[in-house]
Amino acid sequence: MTGTLTDEREDGEVVAALIAAADEADTDPSTAAKAVAAAAREVSDMMRNWATHIPWEDLEELDTLPEDEVVRFFAEDYPAIRADLEPMWEPATAAAPAIDPDEDYALDKNAYDFFRPVGANLLSRTEEFHGWVEARRRTETWQYSRVLEAAPGGIATITNDLSKPARGINFNSQDYLSFNAHPEIREAAVRAMRDFGPHSAGSPMVLGNTRISDDLEAALGALVGLEHVTLFSNGWSAGFGTVTGLVRQEDHILIDRLAHSCLQTGARAATRNITRYTHLDVEAVRTHLARIRATDTHNGIMVITDGLFSVDADWPDVAALQEVCHAYDATLLVDVAHDLGSMGPGGTGVLGMQDMLGKVDLVMGAFSKTFASNGGFVAARSPAVKQYIKMFAGSHFFSNALSPMQTAVVLKAAEIIRTDEGEALRGRLFSAIHALRDELTTRGLTCMGSPSPIVPVLIGNEKLARTVNRLLFDRGVLAFMVEFPVTPTGASRFRLQVQAAHEPEQAREAARIIDGALRDAREHLSSAFGNSF
Amino acid sequence: MYNAIVVGGRCAGAAVGTHLARQGLRVLVVDRSRFPSDVLSTHFVWPHGASYLNRLGVLEQVRAVTPAHTDVTVVNNGIELRGSVPEQLLRNQFRLLHDDDSGITTDYFSVRRHVLDKILVDNAVRAGVEFREGYAVKELLRDEDGTVIGIKGRDGTVEHAQVVIGADGRNSFVARALGVEKFDERPRCTYAYWSYFSGIPDADAQIHRRGRLGMAMASTNHGQTMVLTWGPSEWAADFRADVEGNFHRALGLISEDAAGTVARARREERFYGTLDQAAYLRQLHGPGWVLVGDAESFKDQCTALGITHALRDAELAAEAIGRWLGGETDRDTALAGYAAKRRSQTAAAYYDYVCTLAEMKPLRHDELQLFAILRGNQAEIDRFIATHVDVAPVSEFFDPSNVFLLNDTAKESSRDHSAFADFEATYREHQRNPFQRVAAEATR
Ligand SMILES: Cc1cc2nc3c(=O)[nH]c(=O)nc-3n(C[C@H](O)[C@H](O)[C@H](O)COP(=O)(O)OP(=O)(O)OC[C@H]3O[C@@H](n4cnc5c(N)ncnc54)[C@H](O)[C@@H]3O)c2cc1C
Ligand SMILES: Cc1ncc(COP(=O)(O)O)c(C=O)c1O
Repeated sequence: MTGTLTDEREDGEVVAALIAAADEADTDPSTAAKAVAAAAREVSDMMRNWATHIPWEDLEELDTLPEDEVVRFFAEDYPAIRADLEPMWEPATAAAPAIDPDEDYALDKNAYDFFRPVGANLLSRTEEFHGWVEARRRTETWQYSRVLEAAPGGIATITNDLSKPARGINFNSQDYLSFNAHPEIREAAVRAMRDFGPHSAGSPMVLGNTRISDDLEAALGALVGLEHVTLFSNGWSAGFGTVTGLVRQEDHILIDRLAHSCLQTGARAATRNITRYTHLDVEAVRTHLARIRATDTHNGIMVITDGLFSVDADWPDVAALQEVCHAYDATLLVDVAHDLGSMGPGGTGVLGMQDMLGKVDLVMGAFSKTFASNGGFVAARSPAVKQYIKMFAGSHFFSNALSPMQTAVVLKAAEIIRTDEGEALRGRLFSAIHALRDELTTRGLTCMGSPSPIVPVLIGNEKLARTVNRLLFDRGVLAFMVEFPVTPTGASRFRLQVQAAHEPEQAREAARIIDGALRDAREHLSSAFGNSF
Repeated sequence: MYNAIVVGGRCAGAAVGTHLARQGLRVLVVDRSRFPSDVLSTHFVWPHGASYLNRLGVLEQVRAVTPAHTDVTVVNNGIELRGSVPEQLLRNQFRLLHDDDSGITTDYFSVRRHVLDKILVDNAVRAGVEFREGYAVKELLRDEDGTVIGIKGRDGTVEHAQVVIGADGRNSFVARALGVEKFDERPRCTYAYWSYFSGIPDADAQIHRRGRLGMAMASTNHGQTMVLTWGPSEWAADFRADVEGNFHRALGLISEDAAGTVARARREERFYGTLDQAAYLRQLHGPGWVLVGDAESFKDQCTALGITHALRDAELAAEAIGRWLGGETDRDTALAGYAAKRRSQTAAAYYDYVCTLAEMKPLRHDELQLFAILRGNQAEIDRFIATHVDVAPVSEFFDPSNVFLLNDTAKESSRDHSAFADFEATYREHQRNPFQRVAAEATR
């Protein structure tokens, strides 16, 4: 090497000189050879040991070769070397295939990227997000806001938000026991309509409830083993209302990091003292409780979890959680929205499966998954808790009550759930669930969690999931792709919701179609990644 | 006849050779270069990389000549976060990948490759590896089924082995000779220019970003400091027109403080640079061959993980190859295990994370807000740093329940940071190529 280290030219400059010299080889080969060799010797060690596909040794020795060898070298060997040298100083984007900007934008961002928009005007600052939504819509990767053209049975006819129609095996609706089509359920709705009309006309604290509401509270109390039940007009507000009704700013919340949005949002509205614990980790809860109780014995602690987790299809050890809660004077709230009615002995869900009926501090649920209606509830052991929640859960006090029809439908559903017919429906449901999971697993896909009406198929990467979503829409399977803000980034998946009306063969067919779409999407994106964490 | 021949003897090659030799296998490692020598890299080694070096038994040797730190400062458009990679997250990561969390350290350092690679090679030899330097492989030998069975050198010598491991870097000869396809290429990447300066006191590493530009400063060997600046590769041609001038100009645009420090220091070597950093993945193994390190996948330098990941992959590949050659399981099952760990969805999420970062788009309002709301929440700053360098999964930090909670419990607001003062105008300004203007003015 020549010169002091600081004086040496940067490699890009040296290689540019090398190429320029070589380009003159036609006119004066030996001068070119000298210049090329000198330049090659000036290239840094760093570059030489990196660009190992360039025969630096050959270039360095060029000025020692006889002239005819040099001429041969420039004519025969050099063109390939030049073809390897040049792109090292050109941006790779120049050679890459053009990128469709819509597709690029649609596959890239996620909803959180738009959560803190810039600007003083609350309305105009929504435009940037809308630009992204439009790019997603144009590229048919927007999975939201599809509409039904008819009742959502095992098969459904829908249109997406570009008015594009599709018909297929329907895993996009939550109606686990297929009660939406059940004659007695429909009859209950019609009767309530005739007796009370369509409207509840008031808050449940005023005059919004009917006699049917009292019967429903009793039926639900019997189902979960906690007799003091409060109704809400939807499940989300039951969760939000229960947490904000009971927890105050100085209290503490421990919440499973994957618990449902209504609980997370309620927690954040109630207090800043929130600890998200590792999913299902009872020991983590114990550690956090010990830490909190070591310095605070006079404020409350609520521990919050789902029963069946709605996009993970797993559930906690409720008995163990309740036990640590008792040990540290904390209160356990379990959201059984997805499992109550659809699984467990007599439809008692995760609590029944763990022999925990009547033994949990607070149980809440939603009717929207199995009970064929809007609505939600919370059940407690004491009338005091019930009256307190009714007064201080704003979503109960200050919101119109469930309609009489909704109440009647849920009551009828709660009755059927406990009968032999309910048991038979759950049997059909689980036949389809097992068929679906088995076929998916056999094909190498990852079904998360355990057999339950929710079958999450892990995709992971959003680009891949959005591409599968686009392909699947046209192939006869209606499945909802979930990504942020439903799941964490990089953990997207298809949430398949099974119904008693699904035939096992339909489920297997759907699995085959999903597998095909995933393969094609992977090919489209040239992705080499698999489907497990 | 060897059990394994490794082509390339730096981070990936020396490490995989060492691990295999320690399992009692007969291993030959060859490298075209001679040691000690450098290779294009800014050679920052994060705590998991340092932990891998510890597991190889060379951490103390590296530390003896290399300044190390645990806290790092990350500054985005002037919003400063300072933290470190938490030990617990490191442990989780090592247990998940290797079922073994021994040798964890939370230290990081920037070690010159002529220092590190020499230590690695000597360590391999001590472990029983046969090592040949200045040995360039010119041909792969295959049997009639196409299975790779050995190598032929530039000097004409021939060697045979049960497996040939390509640890020969981004421009891998082994991958080219086998025609191994690239997957999922990401052409948008950064240019990077750097050099070595004396006269800057040893300090924690600083990583800055402003708009589409970045810079980093890290103490390294010989009492020097590595100073690096990078930006989108589309701007490289303009930058290159005046490397020294634009180097200092870029530092000035990114951080006046840092630029001042560097202006007062003395440059000890030439400038080095590249824009050849498009990301890719390659198939990991086939009959008689396995790839590790850059040969098998490359990501932009912007999160400084190539060495760490090469060491990780060396360990993963050696575990798998050991199970196969040790007779515990067949080749395909063993190597499928290596592939499964390298092709997890957690790895996919990180690949996307780096490749998106490498596009060097100006920082968006939402991104800056995240940095602002993290301030004062040390546990989450640390988890963010761990996520940024692939110690914790992207899905655990960017979990809706976490980011919304961070929002709702923020201790600082946008009023505390000038980056938000005239955000939209600055954002537009950041999209303009500052080196192009300089070039235009110079020709006028
Ligand atoms: C600008 C830049 C900055 C970077 N900064 C960092 C950073 O700060 N931190 C970090 O961790 N990573 C960084 N990296 C990445 C890091 O340098 C690489 O990932 C790392 O060197 C990969 O190690 P490796 O062993 O796979 O390959 P290499 O280090 O490239 O080693 C390959 C070896 O194979 C040998 N070889 C090649 N062909 C043959 C042949 N035919 N016969 C025999 N031997 C052969 C070569 O001589 C070479 O010694 C950076 C990369 C770049 C480009
Ligand atoms: C676990 C859980 N809780 C509560 C709800 C909210 O129920 P609803 O749809 O009735 O508002 C849902 C449904 O999204 C849920 O999955």
